[in-house]
Amino acid sequence: MDAQDILTLTRRDFLVNAARGVGGLAFASLLGAEGLLASPVNPLTPKPAQFMPRAKRCIFLYMEGGVSQVDLFDPKPKLKELDGQKLPDSMTEKVRFAFLQKDTAKLLASPHPFRRYGQSGMEMSGMLPHLGSCADDIALVRSMHTEAFNHHPGELLMYTGSQLLGRPSIGSWVNYALGSPSQNLPGYVVLTAGRVPSGGNTMFSSGFMPSCFGGVMFRSQGDPVQDLSNPPGVTAEMRHLGLDALRDLNAMRHAVVGDPEIASRIASYELAARMQVSTPELTDLSGESSATLEAYGVNRDADGLKTQRGGGPDAFPTFAKNCLLARRMVERGVRFVAIHHASWDHHNDLDSDLLFNCRVTDQPVGALLKDLKQRGLLEDTLVVWASEFGRTPLGENRPSFNGRVSGRDHHPFAFSMWMAGGGVKGGQVIGETDEIGWNIARDPVHVNDFHATMLHLFGLNHEQLTYRFQGRDYRLTDVAGRVVPQLLA
Amino acid sequence: MLLLSSVSLLLAGGSAAMSATNEAPSRTPQHWAFVPPMIAKTPSIKNQRWVRNEIDRFVLARLEKEGVEPSPEADRRTLIRRLSLDLIGLPPTPEQVRQFVEDCSLNAYVQLVDSLLASPHFGERWARHWLDLARYADTSGYQIDRPRPFAWLYRDWVIDALNDDLPFDQFTIEQLAGDLLPDATIEQKTAAGFHRLTLMNHEDGTDAEEFRCKAKVDRASTTGTVWLGLTVGCAECHNHKYDPISQREFYQLYAFFNNAQEVDIPAPHADDPARFERAKKAWNGEQSRLKTQLAELTQANDPKSADVKRQLARHRRTRPKNAEAKAESFLERTAPARANIHVRGDFLRKGEEVGTGTPGVLPPLKSRRADADRLDLARWLVAPENPLTARVAVNQVWQHLFGRGLVNTSEDFGTRGEAPSHPELLDWLACEFKSPLSLNVQRSTFNVQPAAPWSRKALIKLIVTSATYRQASRVRPELQSRDPQNLWLARQNRLRLESEIIRDISLAAGGLLNDDIGGPSFRPYLPEDVKKLGAAGAFTWTDTEGPEKYRRGLYIFAQRTVPYPASMTFDQADSSQSCTRRDRSNTPLQALTLLNHGLFVECAQSLGKRLVAMPQATTRARIARAFELCLCRPPTGQELARLEQLHRDQTRLPRSSTEAESLTALSQILLNLDEFMTRE
Repeated sequence: MDAQDILTLTRRDFLVNAARGVGGLAFASLLGAEGLLASPVNPLTPKPAQFMPRAKRCIFLYMEGGVSQVDLFDPKPKLKELDGQKLPDSMTEKVRFAFLQKDTAKLLASPHPFRRYGQSGMEMSGMLPHLGSCADDIALVRSMHTEAFNHHPGELLMYTGSQLLGRPSIGSWVNYALGSPSQNLPGYVVLTAGRVPSGGNTMFSSGFMPSCFGGVMFRSQGDPVQDLSNPPGVTAEMRHLGLDALRDLNAMRHAVVGDPEIASRIASYELAARMQVSTPELTDLSGESSATLEAYGVNRDADGLKTQRGGGPDAFPTFAKNCLLARRMVERGVRFVAIHHASWDHHNDLDSDLLFNCRVTDQPVGALLKDLKQRGLLEDTLVVWASEFGRTPLGENRPSFNGRVSGRDHHPFAFSMWMAGGGVKGGQVIGETDEIGWNIARDPVHVNDFHATMLHLFGLNHEQLTYRFQGRDYRLTDVAGRVVPQLLA
Repeated sequence: MLLLSSVSLLLAGGSAAMSATNEAPSRTPQHWAFVPPMIAKTPSIKNQRWVRNEIDRFVLARLEKEGVEPSPEADRRTLIRRLSLDLIGLPPTPEQVRQFVEDCSLNAYVQLVDSLLASPHFGERWARHWLDLARYADTSGYQIDRPRPFAWLYRDWVIDALNDDLPFDQFTIEQLAGDLLPDATIEQKTAAGFHRLTLMNHEDGTDAEEFRCKAKVDRASTTGTVWLGLTVGCAECHNHKYDPISQREFYQLYAFFNNAQEVDIPAPHADDPARFERAKKAWNGEQSRLKTQLAELTQANDPKSADVKRQLARHRRTRPKNAEAKAESFLERTAPARANIHVRGDFLRKGEEVGTGTPGVLPPLKSRRADADRLDLARWLVAPENPLTARVAVNQVWQHLFGRGLVNTSEDFGTRGEAPSHPELLDWLACEFKSPLSLNVQRSTFNVQPAAPWSRKALIKLIVTSATYRQASRVRPELQSRDPQNLWLARQNRLRLESEIIRDISLAAGGLLNDDIGGPSFRPYLPEDVKKLGAAGAFTWTDTEGPEKYRRGLYIFAQRTVPYPASMTFDQADSSQSCTRRDRSNTPLQALTLLNHGLFVECAQSLGKRLVAMPQATTRARIARAFELCLCRPPTGQELARLEQLHRDQTRLPRSSTEAESLTALSQILLNLDEFMTRE
């Protein structure tokens, strides 16, 4: 049934119903799964992948600021030996840093003990016990690298495959390629905790793609989606009467001008009305068991911990709630959920701030992985932990710190990220860095490679997924990228 | 006519022969867009009576070939709304509609066109199209996203230039090289701010050179997109894969911008002193109000005094400054412009050094001195022998009047772009635009003076007075399978309006619109959490209060990292790169915005009040008035009945609506109609 037939039917229905004084219920169901929303006019109509997908949805955990891999994911005992020593000039000669002074910088060992987790014995920080308990589902990549060494370009590269502003976000690409199974919720949702994202909402934007593919930011206070609620003074009944009349008038106009765009407009208003119902249901956690709330730590507080980098104690409950919401969203067919947490930019006070962030994130992320697994969702839900770069094994000594070295600078040459679920082979470490974690020693994985692999898991060939803008066929992986076969189960 | 056509044929042929001597091995002159446009023999057609000007001959020839009749002319109400929205972006008043409908004179339509072209709002409407190409914004982008407090000087220059109908060749020259013109005026230097609208990253610890290079890459590729319709940016890292543009040629273009130093020049604006005086007066008023309030509260020992104290402190920080406006411009260095090729696009890997130059596939560049500079580049773009610039420019104009260019890929006239739907018409328009030679029916009938060269107003007038433009936009089911995209132009297209225009017409319907032209951008209300998103708190967004907040969408402060959400929902162009055509998406978020966003609710309430205020009017009369205000037409009987039914239903609700609430609800329906947000 195409849009035209629906409208023809609808007009008849409308006239009949108007005569009987019946509202628009029949109409709403007509626009349902088999109706307009499934027709080609809706760009978010689900589409098949290019080949058999392993992942159907993604939860993209983004740790903004540059997570310190030498403290959390990539143990370097040698650093302990060399602590306080300079690096040979040859290693830093051609290297650009954001703040670090090459002449006087010294290696800084991690004070945090590492532990072996799971059957695989994966080494991660002792500050990540919950994540550690999921080690056998995680594929940890210790050989990530990027060209970007400043935050916003780096974040853009990690979210859009390019350091330049204006390209579509990864969630937009996936929705563009596959559409969204959810008819009541956006296909790409963004949840934030901690400090506000430093690049505004540019990382989640659909760039030059239509805006329907852009990330919709859910808010932690007020309306979850901007302008979701009826304005003050407008009751549900008033709105309902108004929308019925609106639909009928649009249908009358359609009868005159015959433009299928009007049918789409009617469908959009129907969908908006459904979003008004389904979004509060989604964000209402009262149906979750106390065990679940407890596991995610939804009601935790900061337990006296403090951070220098914004967010404040609210980050604890907000991040936990975001992880639980992400599960509820993927259950309801949302294709791509980004959970953005800031900030991990630990130029100084690394010890206290890193502990704070680990406490914020470790328990909820661990709970999310286990919850997904228990519900049978992990096998086709890809979970990714990402950051724009890592941090230097050298202590940061910018002049304004007056000799107090308590953090690390940006390190794009070798850092760690992980993925789990959705066709990923867990319980393994990919790649290796040299003994101080400066350079990659084995199996480098570029951001474009990581993206190529993510798309591959979705059943998409990154070289064939293109969008033409300004006469050029753009890709998420720009002109590079290769799938990392070791990551695949 | 014949004679004139052959002259231009001769001219075109001459230039082709001239450039052929400079043929580079990579040339593919057979691609249509690299061959200079020529005035083709006007096609012969049967239905002479339908034709209003030359455009129609080309369109009708195609229709007759397909055996398709054109659509009838749209009714007058549709025509006046269409024309007003297309030319000034504002709806006509019910009175203007009535006059036009009742005007039986032969040239009523042309007079309407002339008056709209003469309206100062014309410049606003068409400036917005140009600002999309110019990637206009009020901040510099990336993490810090620093405000550019006088970016609007450039925006206002564009508005003025369009209102003055500055010929497109001069418009081009001033924007690319206004600073290099002899005795350049402040306005010309301001115009050169076109290429200052690139992004800049002020994040701590960045390598400034990296972003300077990115800006210059953007300048070269944006120039290619906007004037040549070529994707020269594809040759940044390697030779172009499809078009004859080498990486070396890309860096020759880049070299033109390598010598241009960014400078901010004092640019006092005529309006500054008056604006400052107004702002100062308003500020003083608020200051004394707060002081009085504080004194009273302190006297009464009211704890609210602490609040007022804080308000007063905040207010002190907003004291208006009599700023000496500074326009963003360029200053050319004296040494000849050179650039190194960036190996694989990496600015750290410097390759061969090149001088300035233009792609060899196009006619040669004539420079004033040994080394060509930006002024030479600008003049080369608008030289008569350039095969692309005029075609690209007329196509952009066509696109805004039909929703789709004659070349659909208005950004790409290269070998990978789409072929023109009406190649002869495109060429005829391009020639007519550059040098209006040909006689046309319209002129002989109405005794119109020949147009000036490169006049956009003349071009727009030519297009909107054609029978092609004036057709009804009703979809023709019999053509849906044969011509689903309406490429043959057997009807007009129905176009959802742009984000700014939806805002403007909603404000206008509510009687709230402040149609002041120009000046600093304003900041509409944003929820606190969205405000905070901006630049990680590097600067604050203070909602504009008072009548300024009802200004046209064109003047919304464009913050690159947090584009105004309600505008983005309606496909506003992303200001980080040049955008030649916007999407027209149709999403549930648009519905939520128009139904629930504070501004649109306010417009509905305000329209409701206008209806309530009608003395002794029946509900029918009020509904009819709302239709006139929103859609420029009376309701049909069916529509009227349906809305009357709504009005009755509302009074039967458990908590029955007041008359004001009912009429607000009714107004809201009109402001959400597909027809309202569509140019038919």
